[in-house]
Order: sequence, then structure tokens, then C-alpha cells
Amino acid sequence: MKKFAIIGGVVLLLVIIAVVSYNSLVGLNQRVDAAWAQVQNVYQRRADLIPNLVSTVSGAANFEKSTITEVTQARASVGQVKIDPSKAPTDPAELAKFQQAQDQLSSALSRLLVVAENYPQLRATANFRDLQAQLEGTENRIAVERKSFNEAVQSFNTAIKRFPTVLFAGMLGFKTRPYFTAQPGAETVPKVQFDFGKPAPATPKP
Amino acid sequence: MKRCDRGLALLFLLVWIPIAQAADLIPKAPDRYFNDYARVVSPSTAEKLNARLESFERTNSSQILVVIYPKLPEGAALEDFTIKAFRAWDVGQKTKNNGAVLFIFVNDRRLRIEVGYGLEGALPDIIAKRIIEDEIKPHFREGHYDAGVTAGVEAILKAARGEYRGTGRTQADRRGKGRANWAPFAIFGFFLLMMIFSARRRRGTMYGRRGRTGWGDIFWPTLGGFGGGSGGGWGGGGGGGGGGFGGGGGFSGGGGSGGGGGASGSW
Repeated sequence: MKKFAIIGGVVLLLVIIAVVSYNSLVGLNQRVDAAWAQVQNVYQRRADLIPNLVSTVSGAANFEKSTITEVTQARASVGQVKIDPSKAPTDPAELAKFQQAQDQLSSALSRLLVVAENYPQLRATANFRDLQAQLEGTENRIAVERKSFNEAVQSFNTAIKRFPTVLFAGMLGFKTRPYFTAQPGAETVPKVQFDFGKPAPATPKP
Repeated sequence: MKRCDRGLALLFLLVWIPIAQAADLIPKAPDRYFNDYARVVSPSTAEKLNARLESFERTNSSQILVVIYPKLPEGAALEDFTIKAFRAWDVGQKTKNNGAVLFIFVNDRRLRIEVGYGLEGALPDIIAKRIIEDEIKPHFREGHYDAGVTAGVEAILKAARGEYRGTGRTQADRRGKGRANWAPFAIFGFFLLMMIFSARRRRGTMYGRRGRTGWGDIFWPTLGGFGGGSGGGWGGGGGGGGGGFGGGGGFSGGGGSGGGGGASGSW
């Protein structure tokens, strides 16, 4: 009789631990998905800015066409990466593909803005100034939300590898989630930053 | 018993050190709305703007702060520092995320308006950029900090006005002034209590006093002893300039968050 009581107690304890672990994992999992939705959100925001940017710079006299084409192509290839916006990817390859497409767009955009430096007339227009402010803000948001996403993934991944959760996590269907990998310069973004304050060599100080 | 004490001390260190390190990176939340740690703005302007910003939280519930530092911490990137500080300070009300902070780094000649999620509609990046470029920078270039921050604050308030409705009370009213960051002290006090009790059990007396020692006798001296140190020790943010004023006008974070909205500039 005593033996049964002990076994029963141990089983009950295990069940309680499993339930508690499961509940906390569900919460952490939700946080990862919510952070992912935010990441998608800010990337979408950037994609939405591009048509406006392209039409603005195309209006400038003899603007380098190759950089514009590059941006539009990069944006198109971003659109081709089909990814579920409501659920963070579980497959590292899937996230890597998404990140690669987005990073390509980042570099195409920053090249375009560097080229725009050579067109003082374009830079002087209010429209371009506003676009630049929006692009800067969006790049900053992307950096912030990617970082939040990585933090959410980190606490989730840590939780499922901790004892005793590690005993149940696999059984309950929780797998580690992939991170965004930092690229040199991709996290902090000042690449796309322009100082209106510092006068360019050619233009007189305002 | 001896080993037990050492174990407790070690545990305490393990808990304490991460908290202390985290506090080093980001200065603790300012206790006023207008904080001039670089001492470039005249006290009367600072007082006036602080009162403006406090009454703005009463009427509009949005929490708008101004924080002027002498310079960015060594090796910190502007946008990275400002968003971390913004999130750590819980600027804005929890359900509305309606905070905004004007950061100014005088020696770096850089500034940033960091906007919470809930004010991104009223203060989009374009508006934030225009406020920096058109309202603040012209004054700063001339060295007129009072005029610059006044114009900047007025422009931010104008943009944010009417977006949310206030309750007539600020977070600081609601929580009382002594909120501060007492969690580390609670942990510290807890471990100290445990040590005191284990020491007490061993020796049977406390502070050399004979006879019964009540809870109050043990607990309050502990808190009192550390309460004294809590005022200035955690500054981390340069001069601690705004501290001297006291009275009303205290800021207390409402639990809001932001996602890097706003704009930066330099003069």
C-alpha cells in the first residue's frame, strides 16, 4: 500500500511539473510569435515606403537608373519569400531565406541613398527629406524589433533547455526557434543615416 | 552553520551582481519631467517646462520627458541607448504606450525624439524630424538652449495634444513619491534577515542586547540603514542635476513601451 502511495505521489508531482512547464512555455511561445508579428510589421512598413521613394528619386533629373532598378528588384524578391506573418518560423533555413531577402533590400536602399547624396537638388526637396526621415525611422524600428524578437526567442530557447522542462518540451511539441543573425552593420543601422546638419562639401552652410 | 552563511552570501552575490550591472548600462529613470543633467538650461525655464509637462500628463495622460545629458555613454550608439532607456523607464501609460522623450547630448551635439508606440500616430517620424530641424536646431546652433528646448517641447505638446484624454492625475500621484526601485533592497533585506536569524539562533542575542528582540526591532533598522543610501547611489547619469528641486512635479513611469519611432538629428 505504501509503495503505491509513493508511486502515486511521484506521478502526481511529475504531472504538476509538466503542467506548470507547459503553461510557461505557452506564454513564452506567444511572446515569440508576437515579436515576430512586430518584425513583419516594420518590414512591411519599409516595403510600403519604397514605391514613394522610387517615384520621388525618379523625378530627379537623370538619376542613376541602375540603383532604382536594384531597389525595385530587391523589393520584388522580398515579396516572393512566403512566410507566415502570425507564427515565427521554426525552420532556420526559412528564417535565413527571409533575412537574406530583407538584407538585400537594405543594402540596395542604402546604396540608393548614398547615390542621392550627389543630387543636391533632390535632397533639398521637402518630399525627399520626409522620405528620408521615414526610412531612417523604419530602419531603426527594424533594428529594435529584430532585437526584441531575438530576446523573446532567447528566453524561449533557454526555457525549453532548462531542467526539468527539458524532459517535457520535446514531448509537448516545443522546438528551439531560430534567431536573426547579426550582420556587420545590420543591427545598428547608421548606414542609412544622413545629417542634414552637416553641410555637404558642395553646398553652402544654411 | 558557518557553511550555510557562506552559501547565503554567495547566493546574495549571484542575485545582486546582475542587477547592479544592468543598472550601470542605462541610467535610472529620471524623477522629473524635465531633467537637465548637463546644466545648460536656466533653472526658471527648467521649472516652467517641468510644470508644463506634468500638467500635460494630467490633462492628456501622455508622458513627455526631456532629458539632457552632457554626453552619450562611452561606446553607446545613440538610437540603441535611447530605446533602451525609453523601455527601461516605462515612459507612457501601460495600455496606451503614449510616451515620448526628447534626448539631448550636449557635447556630442546630437539629439533624438524617441516616440512610444501609442504616439506614433500623433508624432510620426516626419513630424519628429521637422521639430528637430525647424524648431530646435536653429536655436541650438546659436547656443540658445532655453529657447531650443522650449520651442521643441511646445511643438511636441502641440502634436501630441488631444490624442489621449487625461485623468487629472499623474503616475507619480498614484504611486506616491517613494516608489523608486525598491526590489533590490527587498532582496537585500531578505537575505540580511536570513543571516541575522541564523546568527541569532547561534548566539541567541542580537546586537549584544539581552532578552527578547521583536520583529520590528530587527526589520526596521535594516530598512532604515539602506534607505539612507538609496537617494543618490544609483544615479549613473552624469550630474544628477534635477535632483535638488523636490516638491511636486515628479515623474513616475506608467509602464508604456516603444519600438524605435521618432527621429534623430545633430547640430
